[in-house]
Amino acid sequence: MLVQLIANGLANACLTALMATGFALIYNTTRIFHLAHGSVYVVAAYAYYAAAQYLHWPQFVAVTFAVAVGTFVGCAIELLAYSPLYRKQASTTIYLLTSFGLYIALINTVALLFGNEVRVFPTTQQSAVSLGPVLLTGIQLLEVATSIVVLAPLMILLRKSNWGRLIRAVRDNPTLASTTGVNLASVRRFVFAAGSALAGVAAVLAVLDVGADPQSGLPVLLIAIVAVIVGGIGSFGGPILGSMIVALLQSIAIWQISPKWSQAITFGILILFMIFRPTGLLGIRRRIEEVIE
Amino acid sequence: MTYVWHLGVMVSLYIAVALSLNLVIGESGLLSVCQAAFYGIGAYASTLLVMKAHWSFGASIIGTLVFASLSAICIGLPSLRLRGDYFVLATLGFQIILYSVLYNWADLTNGPNGIPGIPPPRVFGIELASPYRYCTASFAMAAVIGGFTLVIVRSPFGRLMQAVRDNEVAAASLGKNWLLVRLTAFAIGAGLTAVAGAFYAGYARYIDPTSFTVMESIFMVSIVVVGGAGNFRGPAVGAVVLVLLPEGLRFLQIPEAIAANLRQVVYGMALVLFMLFRPKGIAGKYGFD
Repeated sequence: MLVQLIANGLANACLTALMATGFALIYNTTRIFHLAHGSVYVVAAYAYYAAAQYLHWPQFVAVTFAVAVGTFVGCAIELLAYSPLYRKQASTTIYLLTSFGLYIALINTVALLFGNEVRVFPTTQQSAVSLGPVLLTGIQLLEVATSIVVLAPLMILLRKSNWGRLIRAVRDNPTLASTTGVNLASVRRFVFAAGSALAGVAAVLAVLDVGADPQSGLPVLLIAIVAVIVGGIGSFGGPILGSMIVALLQSIAIWQISPKWSQAITFGILILFMIFRPTGLLGIRRRIEEVIE
Repeated sequence: MTYVWHLGVMVSLYIAVALSLNLVIGESGLLSVCQAAFYGIGAYASTLLVMKAHWSFGASIIGTLVFASLSAICIGLPSLRLRGDYFVLATLGFQIILYSVLYNWADLTNGPNGIPGIPPPRVFGIELASPYRYCTASFAMAAVIGGFTLVIVRSPFGRLMQAVRDNEVAAASLGKNWLLVRLTAFAIGAGLTAVAGAFYAGYARYIDPTSFTVMESIFMVSIVVVGGAGNFRGPAVGAVVLVLLPEGLRFLQIPEAIAANLRQVVYGMALVLFMLFRPKGIAGKYGFD
């Protein structure tokens, strides 16, 4: 029973990890608390739903379209809303309120077009695969495989590639980075594009698994944010670890207490972490790394 | 005519909420996203005190005020140590936890089924059964709450709140306890909102957790921000505009199902546009800088 719950939890953790990594990429680099990331997720989910259900595009084209739409919306938000605020040197509160407004406007636009109810995707085969003691659906395996295929190269690129170095430089000190000739605007655009693409991937997987729901954006994003805080603000790998830990704790909570309290427990963990360990699990290690570097 | 009184009640309730939330957002600079939870605590606490403990409505208001302020102190003590984005995140977390308590503690709150059959409140021996009477009573309540916030803002404590908002370090260097100031503002804001919540329960005669969600909290924040934070006029204007706006959509013959989403698109965009071009809102004073 517990093993099965943990397996389900870890499959879910993969979706959370995609959202959390996208959010962390944007937050660490730009310091924007991008709640509208949840609406990017919703828009991408419905883009996929529309492409596959209404337009009957082939699977590969529909997925590409959804990820492209997500990326486009994320970049549009950065260009039309956050960039002007950045030029005005707005306070974090203003960014946050803008983000709230964008989230509400976007998800309700989606709801106007597609309706408020959950759209379940008629998946062709929900075949279950048994791996030892646990039973996983094909889609859960797809979630695990996709997130490994997407996140592992991203983590390597962030560590090794030139772009990764630029992003980490901006994360550590934007002013210093710009004085050494880093184009801040293009780094910001890049992280918004990459982060939103990750949200697009998560959205497609979620549509296949549980269907599309315009109201799902904020709950999904908030769990991802809990994972980011638990993993450690500033770290890029931390959110992945955080997602796993949050999923494990949720599984244990469902097993020991009751499924209905799992949300309350998740946010209880968030508050405990923010008070007693604000740097998260990997936050401290990052500082030591900085010293070594 | 009943419709006009109904609008009067809703506008009064939201003016009361907006003015008490303004103490937190506008005067203290704390973007709290759990006001709907306090509104819900007020609605549930007064209803349970009246229906289960058989208190009078007036006594239940006092009880609600005290209870909500105490809960705000419990929530504020950990959250107020956090800054900026993290304070907002902590209040979001508490909003979700409190909603979850209202939803899941079925023995006390009757869970998702809500509490039906709430008796109309009696104030000074008058039963507030008709919409006209209720409108008058809730307007009086909003006026008392508004007057109280005005007194607080104009008092030395009001200046202290603004000082802590504008420069915490400078205030601390003058020996002011910033945590205590913020905690007091947060608790008063919560207590007054809970009173409005109690009037809401008495008016709706039925409460369930879905009236006190995260989205409702964000709506309350938008009222203060779009109207304008940091003075008396702003939040009041915001409440009138954002509550009457959906009624305008009704006159345009837009179907109910679409109107709900359309209203949210409009106020979401209003929030974005005000933040981009006029952070002080329609008639506010504090621009979050």
